[in-house]
Amino acid sequence: MKITEQDLKNISLLSKIKIDEETSDSLMKDLESILTMVNKMDELDTSKIKPLTHPIENTQTLREDIEKKDIEREKLQELSKEKDSGFYLTPKVIE
Amino acid sequence: MSELINLSLTDQILGLADKSFSSKEITGAYLNEIKKKESLNCFISVFEKESEEKALMADENIAKNKARPLEGIPIAHKDIFCIKDKKTTCGSKMLSNFISPYSSEVFSKLDTAGAITLGKTNMDEFAMGSSNETSFYGNVLNPINEKLSPGGSSGGSAAAVRANLCSFATATDTGGSIRQPASFCGVTGIKPTYGRVSRWGMIAFASSLDQAGIIAKNAKDAAIALKYMSGFDQKDSTSLNEEVKDLQKEVDADQEHIIGIPKDLIENIKNDQVRDSFKNAISILEKDGAKIVEINLPHIEYSLPAYYVIAPAECSANLARYDGIRFGHRSESVSSLEDLYVNSRTEGFGREVKNRIFIGTFCLSAGYYDAFYNKALKIRNLIKSDFDEAFKKVSSIAMPTCSNSSFELGSINDPVEMYEQDIYTIPANLAGLPALSIPSGTADEMPIGLQLIGNYLEEGRILNLANKFQKLTNFHEFK
Repeated sequence: MKITEQDLKNISLLSKIKIDEETSDSLMKDLESILTMVNKMDELDTSKIKPLTHPIENTQTLREDIEKKDIEREKLQELSKEKDSGFYLTPKVIE
Repeated sequence: MSELINLSLTDQILGLADKSFSSKEITGAYLNEIKKKESLNCFISVFEKESEEKALMADENIAKNKARPLEGIPIAHKDIFCIKDKKTTCGSKMLSNFISPYSSEVFSKLDTAGAITLGKTNMDEFAMGSSNETSFYGNVLNPINEKLSPGGSSGGSAAAVRANLCSFATATDTGGSIRQPASFCGVTGIKPTYGRVSRWGMIAFASSLDQAGIIAKNAKDAAIALKYMSGFDQKDSTSLNEEVKDLQKEVDADQEHIIGIPKDLIENIKNDQVRDSFKNAISILEKDGAKIVEINLPHIEYSLPAYYVIAPAECSANLARYDGIRFGHRSESVSSLEDLYVNSRTEGFGREVKNRIFIGTFCLSAGYYDAFYNKALKIRNLIKSDFDEAFKKVSSIAMPTCSNSSFELGSINDPVEMYEQDIYTIPANLAGLPALSIPSGTADEMPIGLQLIGNYLEEGRILNLANKFQKLTNFHEFK
């Protein structure tokens, strides 16, 4: 399967990961060889088969609606490099 | 004290109980060995002081007859399991500064059972890899031959067990990450049924495939460890609310076995040594009374392509959380919010992780969803149906763990060739079935594994069969 420059740009944009020029050729080669392997799936007619998203049929179990404090907010926020007064800081979004 | 580290978990539990040795002695012996074999690069963190303190507490509990089931047993956790107030890196630069604010259920359960955590083992970045070479912390060396790969992604756990650096180690398996390194290092590894062990606090790669398990010296040890790790957990919505069987009892029970052999797959094994060793292993079990039945798994050859759509698709969604804002690597060079996302992710992830995110993103993008993702899910259904059909006739299915023994570090550069490492292990993940690998011979003077796949929640049955095999053979023995 052929991957175009435009495909790479789209993937980069959607995944929010930069693809630099130096690696784009080898990346294209890697992705093409992976997708060629994946294309083997086309040998099978699956038009009448239902998709299986999960191996186990399970429904969400709900716990009682009681407040739990096993993870503290302050402790979670310690993990961020930039925070202030309980908020996470990012570069300015609106000029 | 070095002989203590060679003992099986079973003998260590007995020895601690009858006070032949103390937890202080055994913990000290492992810590020494870890230092001695530091160059294997099995560990990302080692908790020396804490382990020594816990060993003293364990000895007190034993003296007061208050010992818990795994009291004073020194173990290691794959660095994918969060431990409160400890660094949990998942083998990535992205999480190299991540101190977990909570503990995984796997850690909590084993900790509550009395096990001592010596440290956290090295792994492929975000568990994506089959050679341990994608780790941000450098690759692990195979203790049997240091030029070779220990396998991956749980290479640190497998190598640590093989090198006698812990009694047993936790690990995870999304497409073979417990079984393939177990095969390469000549140890026993089991991935239980999907949902048997809680995924709470286990860093996600592909949520419908990820499952925690055990790497141990033998099937009996794996059964004991798994028993204390399993069980329903309300914090994991995919956890199975089913009774935990007494695996320790079941592993030694008198059980009859009907083993299914996928004939086509076996005939197509290219490596003669792998095929001969497989046939030899099956004849050993047959002579011991197991019934051998030929089965068909007609869609199994489509497992690899389906997996390499589903796993990257789930990975691209799961790893979207790493945005540089709340936790994980945050880029210093940013002038906009977009920059913050893009630069943090570009700097924080390694090449293989990026490859998988790209593939997943591509397969889920507009215009490709049906051709790739939906198609793969339909094939997943066919593969699961193949197994359901086979398990009407057999109690377990046997095949090799891998198509080869360990390879030289740096020798596989083509991603598809690397992915083919998991060609026999992926089907069990797609179907959510329990599967294990036990040493069953050698190829090119390195161990290879026999894989046993069980029906849902029948990990006891495959462990029982594995234990039978290990009573009849010595492939699993090492010093």
